Amino acid sequence: MDFEAISDAKDAEQSDRGMSEKIAEVPLNPEFIVEQAHIFRNAWVPVCHESELPEPYDFRTASIGSENIIICRAPDGKINALLNVCPHRGMLIERRPQGSFLEGQASGNPKRITCMFHAWQFDMRGNCVYVAREKEGYQERFSKDDAGLRRLRCTVNFGGFVWVNMTDQPVAMLEEWAGPAMQTIENQISAAPLEVVHYHKEYVETGYQAEALQYLNAAKAGALFDYGHCVITGSDLGSGKQDSSARFPDPKSQRVTCVHLFPGYRFELSGPVLNVSVVTPVDRNRIMIEHRGLVPQTESQADREMRSKYYNLSHGPFKTPTTVSGEQSEKSLLSEHYLEEWSMWMGTHPEGLSRINEKSVADQDGDQETNQALTGPHIVVIGASHAGISMADRLRKNGFIGNISIFDRQVGGPMERPPLSKGFLLGGGETVESKSLLRQKKWYKANKVKLKTQSVVHKINRDNKTITVNNGDVVKYDKLVIASGAVPKELPSSKGIGNAFVLRQPADANAIRQAANNSDSVVIIGGGYIGLEVAASLRKKGMDITVIEAGERILARVASKPLAEYLNKLHEDNGVTVITNVGVEGINQEAGIFNNVTLSDGRVIKGDMLITGIGVYPDSQLASDAGLETQFDNGGAILVDNDMRTSDEDIFAIGDVAIRREQTIAVESVHNAQETAAIAAASITGANRPNTQTPWFWSDQYDAKLQSVGIVPVQDENVYQVERLGKRDGAVSFWSYRGDELVAVEVINDPATYMEARQCLDTRRFPDPKQIGKPSYSPVDSGGSRS
Amino acid sequence: MKEDLMLDLERKIEKTIYKATLALDENNWSEFFELCDESFTYAITSFSPEINKNMTYFSGDRKELVGLMDMLPKHNTDHSPLHRHTSVYSVDIAEGGKSATAISSVTIYQNMLDGINSHLDSGESRLFVIGKYIDQFSIIDGVPKFTNRETKLDNRRLDKGSHWLL
Ligand SMILES: Cc1cc2nc3c(=O)[nH]c(=O)nc-3n(C[C@H](O)[C@H](O)[C@H](O)COP(=O)(O)OP(=O)(O)OC[C@H]3O[C@@H](n4cnc5c(N)ncnc54)[C@H](O)[C@@H]3O)c2cc1C
Ligand code: FES
Repeated sequence: MDFEAISDAKDAEQSDRGMSEKIAEVPLNPEFIVEQAHIFRNAWVPVCHESELPEPYDFRTASIGSENIIICRAPDGKINALLNVCPHRGMLIERRPQGSFLEGQASGNPKRITCMFHAWQFDMRGNCVYVAREKEGYQERFSKDDAGLRRLRCTVNFGGFVWVNMTDQPVAMLEEWAGPAMQTIENQISAAPLEVVHYHKEYVETGYQAEALQYLNAAKAGALFDYGHCVITGSDLGSGKQDSSARFPDPKSQRVTCVHLFPGYRFELSGPVLNVSVVTPVDRNRIMIEHRGLVPQTESQADREMRSKYYNLSHGPFKTPTTVSGEQSEKSLLSEHYLEEWSMWMGTHPEGLSRINEKSVADQDGDQETNQALTGPHIVVIGASHAGISMADRLRKNGFIGNISIFDRQVGGPMERPPLSKGFLLGGGETVESKSLLRQKKWYKANKVKLKTQSVVHKINRDNKTITVNNGDVVKYDKLVIASGAVPKELPSSKGIGNAFVLRQPADANAIRQAANNSDSVVIIGGGYIGLEVAASLRKKGMDITVIEAGERILARVASKPLAEYLNKLHEDNGVTVITNVGVEGINQEAGIFNNVTLSDGRVIKGDMLITGIGVYPDSQLASDAGLETQFDNGGAILVDNDMRTSDEDIFAIGDVAIRREQTIAVESVHNAQETAAIAAASITGANRPNTQTPWFWSDQYDAKLQSVGIVPVQDENVYQVERLGKRDGAVSFWSYRGDELVAVEVINDPATYMEARQCLDTRRFPDPKQIGKPSYSPVDSGGSRS
Repeated sequence: MKEDLMLDLERKIEKTIYKATLALDENNWSEFFELCDESFTYAITSFSPEINKNMTYFSGDRKELVGLMDMLPKHNTDHSPLHRHTSVYSVDIAEGGKSATAISSVTIYQNMLDGINSHLDSGESRLFVIGKYIDQFSIIDGVPKFTNRETKLDNRRLDKGSHWLL
């Protein structure tokens, strides 16, 4: 169970990405998106009939706009509608069209809705009843009580239909909205419990509006009702030999009445059957219509067959087509009524009448805590990590008083990343408390920053300056800041294997920590900072560790040779096996669980778990889909100018996802995230550009605290290092020079020297390379050469 | 029954099913009805996992079907021809050799003619439906005739198309 959940953690990351890519491919028409947001998110939708989920724990899935929903019957018989999206990482939970939660699924317990990705479980009311490793993983930051599935407004009414409204504050309650129109058939459709006996779907290449208008024009006349509805009474079916006073549900009924509800639902009594057709727009010119045929629940087989025949003749997929008439339908009063309603939703009503009240708009944008819409421009930030949060902070510090919204796909308050490979892995939970949050809850409130977690941005629509979020919200921006960071690289052969991990997000660290509690040995591929930090942390837990590095030495991309040698020895002294200069030939599993790695020299390294730390790639898919310039045709970092502005002047990119045009080496660090945020914020607000610092970085391994300032140009053969011992035991630093120019300093356990080194680099006063090795020589007081 | 007689009957039944396929592809209803017994009934059915029910989408006896086919020219129908690919999977001849049941797999393609923009669409072939033919035969004087055909579709999404015998 644990293994499954853990390996699924990676799958979720993968499919998460896959999913956003897929959605981004669908070219949705901007007007369509607005219609979805204005009309379909606010309308009541008859999503299914109660007979489709007759027993407790039965469920049915449906969609409204781009939202997936589950309708399920609770043990007390009540029907609830829930968003079919896991609050953990926004994954789709239930994929079947219909079924029962009574029996446990492969990945879940009986009577529970279980997300197959990390096994979070929910009851039939959407309450979260189980979070895998809740206490160990999240401590006080998060409780399952905060993580229910979003419950939607849901009512069973009008002949047993299940009506759902996506908004918490509908413009009108269902009774008020549809009651008067439905009144005309209510007695008939509620006379006996009904059952759906016929179902089919139809895709039609037309818009929902055109489809409705065609129907209404053909009908010509009918009674008009508020909210754009109408009732059309048709001519009776058949030859008139039948009993003309009979009404549905009487099998002899020949009467035809249709209640047409805005924006596109038809409740048609066609003699002895009720047909209900519900439209779901797929795009501007494509709709799906679901047709349901309903008859009374208890009756003879013969009656049922007779009704079915009627149904098929007028509503089935093989119904008799209309006969050729050549007559064109004229625009009817009914369609004018419909169009007037439509204009009230779309803000185009000639007299300015509007259905969208403040309540419903607020609800669409709403975040319970910080739902105070401010005046002024709207800055939208994608990614609530080091860069995104710094951005909001700097904007406010620069005096920006407009709206700031930050979207992130993660659950819970945004957390710092550096502790994840360090102290976090050691603890049974006690080492990460709320101090690892990037900001406390009250900060968002005080700074009026709207934080939207579990919100994946699917698309940037540059034409109308909006973004599309996974819940269907379309959010307008004046300036957009992309701070989507980076995603760890994986070896293809490790994908899908249990107990094989990468490390980037809190959930990854959590999964590693959990697996480590049940493992004795770990193989780490990649001798970079993350791999080495994880090695040090897990070694402290007493695990057997092997680090495999393909390069000639560890830290070959990021650190000087002497520092690498120092750390290599440190690891070996602590009992870690470090293997360099050898590639990985194969990653081998047993029964789906990681077992060993075969090296290119034939060696086989066994382990209970595998961690891959071979670098990251910038998460720039959104940007390249939107046509922003990136390093390569198919990705790479987003190219920005010195103000962190992308090729679109209203869009900025910061942190790990961005690279300046003239920059040759990508710097993935907290400092870079903060500094690029400060530069972009200054550019947006017109504040003074911040003084830039020499890049800095830190790492903790065993008892060694590394602090480094400047970037070591590892490829440059003219760069050499001088070692300097510190005053305290174990303190040492490596000073990298190009000629007399100091370029970087790496310091172990010597904060004072680190501060001096930083001062030298920031002020560009370079101590004498021939002297720096002497502990008695002071780098700052020496009045060293200035460039 | 003797084995060679059985084999002969099986072959005749298969042949009848394939002949019916050709006749239906050509909208040659009279040729199709010639292969059918007077008592012939026809239905298009499907099981819907969405509502968990078996459904009948269309049904009719020989008289009704003949009437429907006669009406076709007067209907606003889609003119895209259908192309069936049928494979007979099993033939079970009842003891005594008077009746038989055959199950065939059928895939029906629609070769577009009408379209929202036939200038663009015509000529393209699209998968229309998939399913099975479940056929009942009577065998008189060694000649099999359809007494019932159930076209059991897997599709529950049935878009614009031809509303005639599949
Ligand atoms: C384990 C670990 C240890 C580290 N240790 C150190 C260290 O000791 N020192 C140091 O300086 N640096 C360290 N780093 C590097 C540092 O954490 C990163 O450079 C920094 O986090 C980059 O910040 P960012 O905001 O650009 O990106 P990220 O931290 O990657 O954050 C990007 C955010 O954007 C969100 N996102 C992406 N796409 C979307 C979307 N479409 N919709 C919604 N949300 C989206 C993601 O969920 C994520 O939360 C470490 C990194 C890791 C992983
Ligand atoms: S995405 Fe659902 S449990 Fe993780």
